[in-house]
Amino acid sequence: MTALMDMLTIFTHPELLLLVGLGTFAGVYVGAIPGLSVTMAVSILISFTFSWDVLPAISLMIGIYMGGVYGGSRTAILLNIPGAPSAIATAMDGYPMAKRGEAGTAIGVTTVMSFFGGFIGIGVLALAAPLVSDFALKFQPRDYMLLAVLGILLVGSLSSGSLVKGIFSGALGIGIGAVGMDPLTFTERFTFDIPLLTQGISFIAVMIGMFGVSEALLQLHHIDLPAVRQKIDRIVPSFSTIKKHLPLSIQTSSIGVIIGALPGTGGDIAALMAYDHAKRVTKNPEREFGDGAIEGLVAPETANNAAVGGAFIPMMTLGIPGDAVTAIMIGALYIHGLNPGPMLMIDQPHMFWFIVGALITANFFMLLFGLTGIKLFTKIVEIPRAFLIPLIMLLSIVGAYAVNNSITDVYWMLGFGVFGYFMRHYGYPLGPVILGVILSRLLDDNWRRAIISEREDLGRFFGGLFSSPLSTVLFVAVVLIFVSQTPLWTKGKEMIFGRSNRSAS
Amino acid sequence: MEPDFRGDADHHDGTSDATPGGYADSRRPGELVFTILMTLGSAALLWNAYGIAGFEALSSPGAIPMATAAVMLISSIVIFVKTIGLKKVEGETLTKDILPWIVLIMFALLVAFGIALKPLGFIPTAAIFLVLSMKLMARRSWPLTILIALGSLVMIWLIFRIVFTVLLPSGVVPEAEFIQMFRDLFSAGGDA
Repeated sequence: MTALMDMLTIFTHPELLLLVGLGTFAGVYVGAIPGLSVTMAVSILISFTFSWDVLPAISLMIGIYMGGVYGGSRTAILLNIPGAPSAIATAMDGYPMAKRGEAGTAIGVTTVMSFFGGFIGIGVLALAAPLVSDFALKFQPRDYMLLAVLGILLVGSLSSGSLVKGIFSGALGIGIGAVGMDPLTFTERFTFDIPLLTQGISFIAVMIGMFGVSEALLQLHHIDLPAVRQKIDRIVPSFSTIKKHLPLSIQTSSIGVIIGALPGTGGDIAALMAYDHAKRVTKNPEREFGDGAIEGLVAPETANNAAVGGAFIPMMTLGIPGDAVTAIMIGALYIHGLNPGPMLMIDQPHMFWFIVGALITANFFMLLFGLTGIKLFTKIVEIPRAFLIPLIMLLSIVGAYAVNNSITDVYWMLGFGVFGYFMRHYGYPLGPVILGVILSRLLDDNWRRAIISEREDLGRFFGGLFSSPLSTVLFVAVVLIFVSQTPLWTKGKEMIFGRSNRSAS
Repeated sequence: MEPDFRGDADHHDGTSDATPGGYADSRRPGELVFTILMTLGSAALLWNAYGIAGFEALSSPGAIPMATAAVMLISSIVIFVKTIGLKKVEGETLTKDILPWIVLIMFALLVAFGIALKPLGFIPTAAIFLVLSMKLMARRSWPLTILIALGSLVMIWLIFRIVFTVLLPSGVVPEAEFIQMFRDLFSAGGDA
């Protein structure tokens, strides 16, 4: 009962309600404008909401997250440019529909389905998180360590082509997180005897550099991209259309929640998996997939919004981010003095229920803003990049400066911006870097706790690993990810299935 | 789009976020140099990590740093070996596709922004930065550029200074007095 009251906190505070609404509104547009990403917006916002109370700050960020995941679909449908990575799959059938003059229907279906998927995700979060956190109390330090490694590996292996580059990025992130004084022994690490480095590197500077400036620099390659106009008619979809796709949407929402809940994997992967699933289960689509099939819109859109709720599960219960945005949110919670993990659920359950309430509210706002304001939308999306990019850069600088009022952070931010720029060009994923920075401390602490409790004996450590079913499962998962990327795996698969079929992850 | 490798979406069609932009089967200009730098950097880090505590204990403060640096070194060597065997991408050059002049200029402007921010103050620095970079990229007339740049600066300043109460270096602009003047104006208006 108190849970319900905490959930409703948001409705008793008009300013929080307003912030969620504003955040969602902003998120829809940030997600829709190519060149602005949700990760970028949330990174920059953390530094600005730094001086706020935790509830308003979280309200705003949740709104942006929810709205942004949805907003990416708009430009995917209208311009064939996914506004956010989670909308990549949406473009495959959304754009053909728009070309046929059915942009309105496509947007309507997308909105309603996003809303639906969002709810399933939140529902699962509300039901599962308390259970998971109870379970998480039994976790050993080594389990946390393995989960952290698993998260970094998953985001490295699933979000791009090359696992090795993902591993490199993840390790780099852990290294960046280790710079400075070791909190347990006050030994200096990776400081190269430079006094500046003993304080460590502000993770906000890393984040804004990698997701703000490097993105903006990369967008400089596309400043001359022309904007395309599309005619939009009726938006609110008919009830029969929705009813027809209900079974599929439940399946794809479930896929979304599960993928979202895996540490490290987020909406983009969920959407691609769901699209693949829809392709397999839809026997007689009215139109072929890739040619404007509604199923091809329903699947990714339910899945990527369901993944939002899913991603909050490991974040709230274990302190392990579900994707890059939740990684940043964990950082935000740290800054506001909260420590996400099983103890947060026990000590401050109201915080959890507040977040659930904010997510639900954001979901309703998303439906509202999704079905209205198309005219305004087409105007905003046409802002030329030549004007947008300098503003992003300006905001990045202000954001990096604002947290510590330090010019040094601005230089760090610029440095990581350039580094991230090259990493993007050469195919190194940036998600694992951020996950690594956030998880560095957790990994380090738990490794040391685990190995000390095993009296510094590696043999006993591995013995313990296989004495607990959970640790065994996690360890096997980590090993499997490695093996799955080697030629050995493909050979094995060929032997079992007779032919090589590449998985669509 | 190949689901396993959707990396290059980043480079050619303008989508965004942390998806990488390399190619699976060929190497881009400068990629080899980058890989070598990463390998050397990882080796230096490993050496530094070894210096933290050596092989003193598995729970020493240097254990995780050494492990991560070792992972970085191994993975960067693997990447190096893979990269060196790849063909170069045809039709791409370093100056055209990786570091075109606009990127270099914008980066120089960003660094200049950082240098000037403290002594000059946020408002003048940002104004100069926005006008210059927008003029450079959009190539519209001066009045329009200045109008858009200053207009958006005023918006940003109002939002961040007033709503988010972010402290920005005031530099040569008497910002505090300015805000106070506004407050006086409003309170005077309120009294009347």
